[in-house]
Amino acid sequence: MPNAGLRVSHLTKRFGSGDTEVVAVRDVSLEVAPGEVVLIMGPSGSGKSTLLLMLGGLLKPTEGTITLDGLELSSLSENRLPDIRLHSFGFIFQDFNLLSALNVQDNVAIAAELAGAGRKAAVAKAAALLTELGLGRRLHFSPEKLSGGEKQRVAIARALVNNPALILADEPTANLDSSHGHETMRLLRDIASERGRSVVIVSHDARIKDIADRVLWLEDGQFKRVVEMATDPVCRMSVERELAVTGVRDGETYYFCANGCRDEFLGAKAVPV
Amino acid sequence: MTVAALSFGSAPRLAFLNLVQDKLRLILSVVGIALAVMLILFLLGLRAGLFESVRAYMANTPGSVVVLPQGVKGTVAAGSGEYLPAGAAETIAGTAGVARAIPILQTRAMPQFHSKKEAVYLVGYDPALGGGAWDLAKGREPSADDEIVLDRVLADRHNFAIGDTLMMSGVALKVVGLSKGTSSLSGSYVFARKSMVETLTLSPGALSAVVVTPAPGTAAGDLTAALQRSLPEASVLLKSQVMDNDQQTLATMIDSVLMLMIGAAFVVGALVVGMVLYTATIERRAEYGILKAIGARGGALYRVTLSQAVIAAGLGVLVGIGFAYLMGSLVQTLKPSFPVSIGPSAIVLAVGAGLVMALLGALIPARSVVRLAPAEVFRR
Repeated sequence: MPNAGLRVSHLTKRFGSGDTEVVAVRDVSLEVAPGEVVLIMGPSGSGKSTLLLMLGGLLKPTEGTITLDGLELSSLSENRLPDIRLHSFGFIFQDFNLLSALNVQDNVAIAAELAGAGRKAAVAKAAALLTELGLGRRLHFSPEKLSGGEKQRVAIARALVNNPALILADEPTANLDSSHGHETMRLLRDIASERGRSVVIVSHDARIKDIADRVLWLEDGQFKRVVEMATDPVCRMSVERELAVTGVRDGETYYFCANGCRDEFLGAKAVPV
Repeated sequence: MTVAALSFGSAPRLAFLNLVQDKLRLILSVVGIALAVMLILFLLGLRAGLFESVRAYMANTPGSVVVLPQGVKGTVAAGSGEYLPAGAAETIAGTAGVARAIPILQTRAMPQFHSKKEAVYLVGYDPALGGGAWDLAKGREPSADDEIVLDRVLADRHNFAIGDTLMMSGVALKVVGLSKGTSSLSGSYVFARKSMVETLTLSPGALSAVVVTPAPGTAAGDLTAALQRSLPEASVLLKSQVMDNDQQTLATMIDSVLMLMIGAAFVVGALVVGMVLYTATIERRAEYGILKAIGARGGALYRVTLSQAVIAAGLGVLVGIGFAYLMGSLVQTLKPSFPVSIGPSAIVLAVGAGLVMALLGALIPARSVVRLAPAEVFRR
């Protein structure tokens, strides 16, 4: 699909007018391909959340366009946005935001029901997805009986149940301990790699760099720095391409955390760059 | 693309699960609504019971046409000293199409029950013609002028039994029978021979009403017109009109107070639903925001809120109906002169009131949910 993925072009969001005008996002452009994980970082008040809200169709941009799989979202009427959010986006929140009255399975099924699935089909779909995410034994648990990591997996299942093209995650690891944070990061990486979804994460958590293909630094509503990430093929560590040790094998460039890994990978054929 | 709405069964399901999650609040809301419904039903039942009791005498006296003094439209006014013109009974008996005529002399009296006086409806009738107690619980009809039939509830209230003597206007009257279904809040019935009531009212030959049965083949309407022609100085009405007039007279006296109380109960019920739903909705604001963020339309959330209101009100109505029946029988046992009659129409009205309470109570919470901006659920 030539237009597949997310394309953001010259996006601006202003709040207020005249002397009280605040430009939260200023002329931001971005492309996220299917299967790609993009991490947006930046200080508090830099415009990350505003950008995420606009990407998710929850806030109208003042200027610019957002196109998802060829459909221009920014020009759609408010009336059409709920359906787009249901079918094209999966939202993952910092606080998990599960419905406390529903059990694990129903928390996921309800998103499918909203999208038009019948109750039986929605429940079956939810159960299959939750089982795939390792929660097969927790289907009928109340959310309050789950660990933080489990709750986030339920939230991820809810985000995935309608097969959206784009997953938007707002600080997905903020309320998780290190181990559950890593588990969530791995899941988000798998969603991109194995399911071909575009994943955009807004976070302060630098650990997420490890699973990102690109890291964008947002400051004063603008991208100030773009970091391309790569994975060291030997130790699997995530490295910034710009700063990494590189080597070429069979005409392809690889990025390493240190010379030791490069030497081990390239061996006799080592062609340091 | 779909309509982003919860299916017909899912909104009530989510609403129900939301409600049962906080059991104490659910119980309080159901009890609040139930008490309001109970009060509404009880008051409606009391009203219906009073209406039944005011219609009871005419309803149980054979005939379909009533001849009353001129200008008198019902029997509630009986005892005001207005009587049919002299010779009315003979004129009625001689009118073509009359099969049976029951002359009645009715008045308000204040007999002495041991140490207490109480106002009663004193009905004078001729046992050979009819017009007396229609349901004798004990004893017999008066066969002599100094004998009376007393309403059973009235007798119980004053510890009177068959064989006791009741003093009325200085005349000793012996209780020979106790009647059923002749008690009401506005006064119980005492039945005596017409000649005795004539003596007590110092009105020999007086008649306050004649209940007429048309002969076979004669329409009640035609007989009414014929009697009116024969007795231009009387009011001739269908018995059903007389009963309606009696009911209307009572309604004029009690409805404003009763309706005010019913209205207050309704408002309290709607406020209970509204407050319970509002707090429940505010507490779940974030959850409703999530549903909106992931694509639920306002209509779906409106349905959830409304379903919560309907479920709470439905349970409240059911419990309230039960409470009302319990209260009705309790009142009937403790205070038999308070007739409570909760019929199907009152139940339908209570269910309707419960539904309207739910709709009104859900209005503000639902509006707040529908207006909720989904972006609010994201961390800022």
